Amino acid sequence: MATLYEGMFLLDNQVVRTDWARAKAVITDALTKHGAKVLTARRWDERKLAYTIRGRRRATYLLTFFELGGDGVNGMRRDLDLDERVLRYLMLGVEALPEGELEKSQAELADGFTVPSPPPDEDTAEEESEMVEEAPAAEEMAPEGIDAEAAAALEGN
Amino acid sequence: MAMMDSRSRIPLKPIATRNCDDPLIDYKEIDYLAKFLTPQAQIHSRKRSGFCAQCQRQLKAAIKRARHLGLLPFVG
Repeated sequence: MATLYEGMFLLDNQVVRTDWARAKAVITDALTKHGAKVLTARRWDERKLAYTIRGRRRATYLLTFFELGGDGVNGMRRDLDLDERVLRYLMLGVEALPEGELEKSQAELADGFTVPSPPPDEDTAEEESEMVEEAPAAEEMAPEGIDAEAAAALEGN
Repeated sequence: MAMMDSRSRIPLKPIATRNCDDPLIDYKEIDYLAKFLTPQAQIHSRKRSGFCAQCQRQLKAAIKRARHLGLLPFVG
């Protein structure tokens, strides 16, 4: 007996930047491979992560609803665990498809619908530049401080 | 008896009231869930959240799911 599942998949932005359809196919193909019937699949959001996952600070969320029998769950989990393009996933059994979900998913399939390209991982670049800027400043400050202490010690003697 | 902050002696109000018949708390409602976290990202107690036991368990599950997906932090 097939169960209705809600699946949230965290996709690597590098894959999304190349082609959204291909990124979406990564998930839908993995689902159909194990006998799932994909009812909806849409981009939920692209956002900054609360913490880094596999070195990524931003990622794209794909929300899907699918029907799957109990036999395919373990195999699908194994495939998703091994796929490097999928950073995280969450699958929950749900009672029914939420209202409006089908329309939102179909709107993504309509002609002229474009998924905005994810912004670059700016945070990592900013942090690296900050570290480079801070490092020389610390080196410059250290000798002055040491000199001042040494001078004070000499004066005291 | 009103709940008191042990340090400031200011009575604390529950963050929210919730009807238990409402739909389940969803892990995707991040702004709503974030209200029930301390600045260090710990989950508020039932006394502070104002939820019943069942709703508090739903809240806990939703926050932990959101943390797993990187929507909410483990540590603030």
